[in-house]
Amino acid sequence: MISLKRRKFTPDRQTRAAIWFLLPSMVTLCLFVFWPIVDSFWLSFRHWNLMEAGREFIGFNNYRVLMQDERFWNSVYNTVYYTFGTVPLCIVASLGLALLCNAALRGLSVFKAIYFLPVITSFAVISIVWGFLMDPDIGLLTYYLNKIGLNMPDMLRSTTWAMPAVILVAIWKNVGFNLVILLAGLQGIPVSLYEAAKLDGANAFQRFWSVTLPSLRHTLLFVVIISVISSFQVFDQVYVMTRGGPLNTTETIVYYIYHQGFELLDMGYASSMAWLLFMVVFLITIVQLRLFRFDQTD
Amino acid sequence: MAVLLRRGAPYLVLVLAAAAILFPFLWMILTSLKPETEIVRFPPKLFPDHFTLESYKNIWNRIPFLTLFKNSVIFSVGVTVVSLVFDSMAAFAFARLRFPGKDKAFVLILVALMIPVQVTMIPLFLMLNDWGWIDTFLGLMVPRATNAFGIFMLRQFFIGLPKELDESARMDGCSELRLYARIIIPLAKPAIASLAIFHLMYNWNDLMWPLIITTSKEMRTIPAGLALFMGQHVVEYGVLTAGVTISIAPLVIAFLCAQTYFVQGIAFTGLKE
Amino acid sequence: MIRTMSKTRKPWIAALALLLLVSTLLAACNNKGKSDEEVTLTFWNGFTGPDRPAYEAMVNEFMKAHPKIKIEMDIQPWDTLLAKLPTSLVSGKGPDIAAFNASLIPQYAKAGNILPLEDLYSSKDIDQSVLPPSLVKQMQFDGKFFGAPANFATLMMYYNKDLFKAAGLDPEKPPATWDEWKDAILKTTKSEGSDKQYGLVIGDHATIPNWPILIWGGGGDITSADGKSSLLADSKTIAAVKFWSDLVINDGISPVNLTGAEADKLFLSSKAAMSVTGPWMTPGFTAAGLNYAVAPIPVGPGGPVTLADSVALVGGKNTKHKEAVFEFMKFWNSKEQQITLSVQSGFPPARTDLANDPGLKKNAFAAQFATVANDARFYLGGQEQASKIDNDLFIPAIQTITNKKGSVEDVLKDADKKLNDLLQGK
Repeated sequence: MISLKRRKFTPDRQTRAAIWFLLPSMVTLCLFVFWPIVDSFWLSFRHWNLMEAGREFIGFNNYRVLMQDERFWNSVYNTVYYTFGTVPLCIVASLGLALLCNAALRGLSVFKAIYFLPVITSFAVISIVWGFLMDPDIGLLTYYLNKIGLNMPDMLRSTTWAMPAVILVAIWKNVGFNLVILLAGLQGIPVSLYEAAKLDGANAFQRFWSVTLPSLRHTLLFVVIISVISSFQVFDQVYVMTRGGPLNTTETIVYYIYHQGFELLDMGYASSMAWLLFMVVFLITIVQLRLFRFDQTD
Repeated sequence: MAVLLRRGAPYLVLVLAAAAILFPFLWMILTSLKPETEIVRFPPKLFPDHFTLESYKNIWNRIPFLTLFKNSVIFSVGVTVVSLVFDSMAAFAFARLRFPGKDKAFVLILVALMIPVQVTMIPLFLMLNDWGWIDTFLGLMVPRATNAFGIFMLRQFFIGLPKELDESARMDGCSELRLYARIIIPLAKPAIASLAIFHLMYNWNDLMWPLIITTSKEMRTIPAGLALFMGQHVVEYGVLTAGVTISIAPLVIAFLCAQTYFVQGIAFTGLKE
Repeated sequence: MIRTMSKTRKPWIAALALLLLVSTLLAACNNKGKSDEEVTLTFWNGFTGPDRPAYEAMVNEFMKAHPKIKIEMDIQPWDTLLAKLPTSLVSGKGPDIAAFNASLIPQYAKAGNILPLEDLYSSKDIDQSVLPPSLVKQMQFDGKFFGAPANFATLMMYYNKDLFKAAGLDPEKPPATWDEWKDAILKTTKSEGSDKQYGLVIGDHATIPNWPILIWGGGGDITSADGKSSLLADSKTIAAVKFWSDLVINDGISPVNLTGAEADKLFLSSKAAMSVTGPWMTPGFTAAGLNYAVAPIPVGPGGPVTLADSVALVGGKNTKHKEAVFEFMKFWNSKEQQITLSVQSGFPPARTDLANDPGLKKNAFAAQFATVANDARFYLGGQEQASKIDNDLFIPAIQTITNKKGSVEDVLKDADKKLNDLLQGK
């Protein structure tokens, strides 16, 4: 705050440059992102059936109904479950693999390409492939696991196991995504830092703790925030793998938004849900930024 | 022995993880080489009894593959190039320039990531509809010309670069544009290459957006073409897996090409400073 | 050095930007002006999958027969089509013709987004007396026509002849009554051990409805005939759900929480002896070399019944070419086209006067599916909130029962109350 005021006294070269650098993206974002967002905010106070032209103002009615909508709260629970299931595991796995990749002298590019394969494949296809592999009756994986005496539960059709199955596939798909970002971060760490640490007699773990982690802070912050935001918005996985079932045990917030907005055509109600979701994600992100002390830009 | 184990252990983990990730793809490719009669059956088999390229021939005959491919290339490469320029410019401003209201403006970028597209899709569609941008490359590409995710990602990388770079450059009378284009961008090559791949892949695979914005088959992209093999009740698994195999091949190639840039960056060039 | 470089660079960037602008503008202007007399109709549909060529061929036939009418088909998955169709129509745009599941007609008609088709029927361009009676009702909203049938499907019981033989059943004599059905199902079910097999796979979500047929077969129903009150707590409905859920839970005749695609895969891999589904599966099952046949659904206490499903053609409210639209619908419903379409897709024709047509015999399945047309009923026909009732009430109720999270009576009584509230607009 204080620094802000101080800066105002010097409308320097940098401020002018910043305007030009920001202009193209800001114009695009304002037109195609912020305006629709503002529009959806306005809609969340209206009754808007996609089928009708009228958009009657109904105040906080959508939000009031939302508070008592059991199915919405169920979807909130499922979304939180999904987030806690995927984010930590996925980040730890991708960081581990990224470190190994970074240390590996040979075959780095091959491994990276392999890990990235699921990322470039659409979820519609992935769900079909995993459906064939995990099918409790005719799945290839199930069949061979059964043969060696391991009994796979009826994953996607079980009210208990459907969510873990979705989480597992999501991790499988997203590890490569985080890995590529983290690797880019790792490779941005100057070799000289490691050499200096080595000269100081630091072992591998100490080097990780005192060189890698601090240098990777900005990248890690990005990965964590993006993972949390996107897992709060999880839709594709659920849509193609389970359609929110069985018995709504995998129905997430955005899936429910889709159901209300596009299947039942109640866009006003869907928008109010989106805004509630937004406020929650916003708060979480702010907390994360604070935890990582984002304001300090070194 | 112990040395061998310590050297070998990381590779063992990498290989195991690679196997777990590759297996479904192996299944997919082998399935695309099976005749339809062998795909769904019990007991399931990984390898086909009879190899056939029937599905690949089929896909070629049943969808206008070249048109779809051309559109996918225009759409995803176009968006990627423009977006990389805009994203990196904005990220540069957020990471390396001082201006009033910076933190607030940046939080706004994050906000753009937090509203699910499912609710902004219809207002956006209506707006483009009013502008007459439906079914044009303009409507398809301009709304994607920048991306909050990209700005955020590049900002995080730019911010990690040593501050001394800017200071010494400015001392030498270097302009902000030159600082951006000549110093920061080359140093952030790994990040930019990663983002390029993300943009490319995201747009290449996107089904919903091109379908909403386009209405004629001359404008359709590959995912829309592949969706034609997934009927309401029937999915043609052989043709679909063949189509997917073909459609991800360009992305794999693009990824491998980008690899050369992934390893460069400050780790090497930074030493020269 | 630096200066000169940045200077030489600038025209480059400008040229590039100009090129980009010009090329996008050119792309935008590419829609050339159409000649005066020719009419172009846009036609949105979701005919993806193996039957797409049949529909494309028919549209080409139409254009050949009507050189002045051009049809521009936009084929895309039903999900995306339904996501943008309402908004497009409301905003004054949208296609001249659209196809979607006939159960959606009430929603679109009530909001006034689709053309009334009374003239099309009163002029006998489409003769309602040759349409299956259930289909006539399904094309209407409030007693007025809003849709023309694009296709018509009935469901039959598919059975695996080899599995019948293996279980000591006569593959040429499929079960005809519920008693025989239960017997055949239990004989073909192997719920123990590693080599599991299912007697009858019953999809409960993301599927063509199966459970409603079983409820109708027992004489029950979801709503009353006028669609104004719930029959979920009716004693016959409860008895039918009890009968079948008991077989599913205790005898393991079918996996629970099954989707339609999973049910098809089980039948396709000979893991299921019977499956109730529509004509769209015949090409795939035949191509896979499966030894199977289809039969009418065995008759229960409620009499012979099966499910009907239909995609309807509708006219967009903003179309400027009503005559051409009508011409297209008329052509689509003509005898010749219906036979060609049936033979190519295996669907029964959407007319009842073709059952004995020699042309139809070219596809034995199409003829068989046509024989049950008169017993076929639409699920939640005419209900404006059909999708909500199915998704939010019916499917969860059935799954709660089959997942043993509630007794048949309790669950259905609860659903009954909710359904009545919904139907009375509470």
